[in-house]
Amino acid sequence: MDFSVNLGLLKLKTPLMLASGTWGLGENLDKFFSLKEIRENIGALVTKGISINPRKGNPPPRLFETPCGLINFIGVENPGIKEFKKSFLPKIKKFGIPVIVNLYGEKIEEFLELAKDLKKEKVAGLELNISCPNVEKGGIYFSYDPKIVSELVRKVRKVWERFLAVKLSPVGPVYEIAEICEKSGADAIVVANTYPALAVISLKPFKILQGGLSGPAIKPLTLRLVYEISKKIKIPVIGCGGIISGKDALEYLLSGAKAFQIGTTNLIDPRSAIKIMRELKEFKNGLCDKSDTC
Amino acid sequence: MYQGKVVFNIKEADNIYLLGIEAPKKILKSFKPGQFLKIKIDKRFDPLIPRPFSIHAIDENILYILYQVVGKGTKALSEIKKGEIIEFLGPLGKPFPKIKNYIICAGGIGIAGFGFLLQKSVNKKDFYPPEKIFYGAKTKNELVRLPFLKKFGIPIKLSTDDGSKGYKGLITDMVEKELKKNPQIILACGPQPMLKKIAELGEKYKVKTYLVMETFLACGIGFCMGCVIPSKKGNYLHLCIDGPTFLAEEIDLGFLS
Ligand SMILES: Cc1cc2nc3c(=O)[nH]c(=O)nc-3n(C[C@H](O)[C@H](O)[C@H](O)COP(=O)(O)OP(=O)(O)OC[C@H]3O[C@@H](n4cnc5c(N)ncnc54)[C@H](O)[C@@H]3O)c2cc1C
Ligand SMILES: Cc1cc2nc3c(=O)[nH]c(=O)nc-3n(C[C@H](O)[C@H](O)[C@H](O)COP(=O)(O)O)c2cc1C
Ligand code: FES
Repeated sequence: MDFSVNLGLLKLKTPLMLASGTWGLGENLDKFFSLKEIRENIGALVTKGISINPRKGNPPPRLFETPCGLINFIGVENPGIKEFKKSFLPKIKKFGIPVIVNLYGEKIEEFLELAKDLKKEKVAGLELNISCPNVEKGGIYFSYDPKIVSELVRKVRKVWERFLAVKLSPVGPVYEIAEICEKSGADAIVVANTYPALAVISLKPFKILQGGLSGPAIKPLTLRLVYEISKKIKIPVIGCGGIISGKDALEYLLSGAKAFQIGTTNLIDPRSAIKIMRELKEFKNGLCDKSDTC
Repeated sequence: MYQGKVVFNIKEADNIYLLGIEAPKKILKSFKPGQFLKIKIDKRFDPLIPRPFSIHAIDENILYILYQVVGKGTKALSEIKKGEIIEFLGPLGKPFPKIKNYIICAGGIGIAGFGFLLQKSVNKKDFYPPEKIFYGAKTKNELVRLPFLKKFGIPIKLSTDDGSKGYKGLITDMVEKELKKNPQIILACGPQPMLKKIAELGEKYKVKTYLVMETFLACGIGFCMGCVIPSKKGNYLHLCIDGPTFLAEEIDLGFLS
């Protein structure tokens, strides 16, 4: 069965992508899959968010489980672009699947510097994480400010000719941002990142954890966003939120997504990608028997 | 993830259970004392994340997990019946350090992982047996698996908070008495206040001290960066990669409650 997808400048062998931050920097893919399995099942690998300088991340606790969900407060711990290029990229390139680097910046300039720095490297594309605080605007998230997102995408587009995706936050002026990304030259949008959430980790003393909610709990919310956004824009929408089975993935594809990313499920079982692709194939087969929708 | 068949899941004391999982010997052979595994507890995604447990013992093709019910995951685990299939991932984390002339200090369910160390140190090849085991719990009933632990012929000192068995008081009092007489390396696993006290004793008696730490884990394999332990150098260590056993002098225990 041919599962290949065309995302404009990027062709994927399958619609499944590994979401940012849920496979580290991807250097251990071959510990859990054979090369054949990687190439046959994983359309693309999206790296953990990469920043200019190394980031040590947030103090513990960084995780809290909620019913069918997970709140994370990692703080984009990563070794920085220099170390990423030196110690990680050579390894992940060898797997033979497209590598998409997720960029984390707190100023437009930082995103530009990162994009320029990757121009000479063999990476298939960039994914801009706009759920970052913009320090030049008093720390307000990029994703709340359509004007800034427009400027960001236009500027990165000027220096980056390969595949360029923007990863939306599910909150804020989401529909407006999606349209702006399209107008500003993005090749695709990823819908979406985690939902701002809060957990009370202790009643007495009262202690909370604020972070991003992911996992099956968010699937209906993100699915709605994918459905609505894919009607509004022409560039491909990549669905991401709570996929844990082949059926979930199919729901995203039927709701308008061209491809999908899996995140939290990798933390439950590192071989989720294989299971989801197998189920997706079985589902597709089943549906084809009943209707002409696939 | 591997699959295993539950061969027993029996109550050892109030809230403490011993779980036996039948799994291929080939897989179990790769497990070393001090390492852990993640068990997928519910297929309906609540609890969503598999829970980590130490390896309590391995007999042929049976893996033993000794666990305490503290929340919804362990409660659901205690309801799993003989014959059911469960999925697990492991071995995860680093083994215990290969040390000689040391004592073990275990508080409550912290005893779980030391059973496998005793098993694997019988032949004194890769791991060495401790000189003594200090094992404390709230009350007599919660001192579990004593017949199994005693089999190895290592002196065991017991304490309970209520004095229902052994010394009445904290196990760390007994450890301090021992260190006064005979300072030696400590390997400890237990509740946070016990670990803090042990770290203090290690410093006071100038002995190398290893602590088996706990955090909430997600992936258990270095993907999510969720399991950090602050180090004295100001950076973060990752429990599932660098631990779960850490040198006390390397970690900043200030984050513990
Ligand atoms: C390496 C390792 C080995 C272990 N080995 C064993 C073992 O052999 N036997 C054993 O019994 N246990 C062991 N544990 C502990 C065991 O994993 C936990 O008790 C178990 O995961 C609890 O799951 P639960 O769903 O029952 O409880 P949960 O419902 O997850 O919570 C238990 C308690 O922790 C609190 N909590 C949860 N997350 C957070 C957070 N982020 N911040 C603050 N508080 C939080 C909850 O409020 C609750 O009081 C081990 C842990 C680790 C890390
Ligand atoms: C532990 C963890 C770390 C993450 N790190 C990043 C990151 O660095 N950059 C980013 O854009 N998204 C990050 N995400 C978000 C995921 O890529 C994904 O968008 C989100 O979790 C929703 O998908 P899911 O429900 O399948 O997990 C992270 C998510 C988790 C759970
Ligand atoms: S639990 Fe994910 S990195 Fe340790």
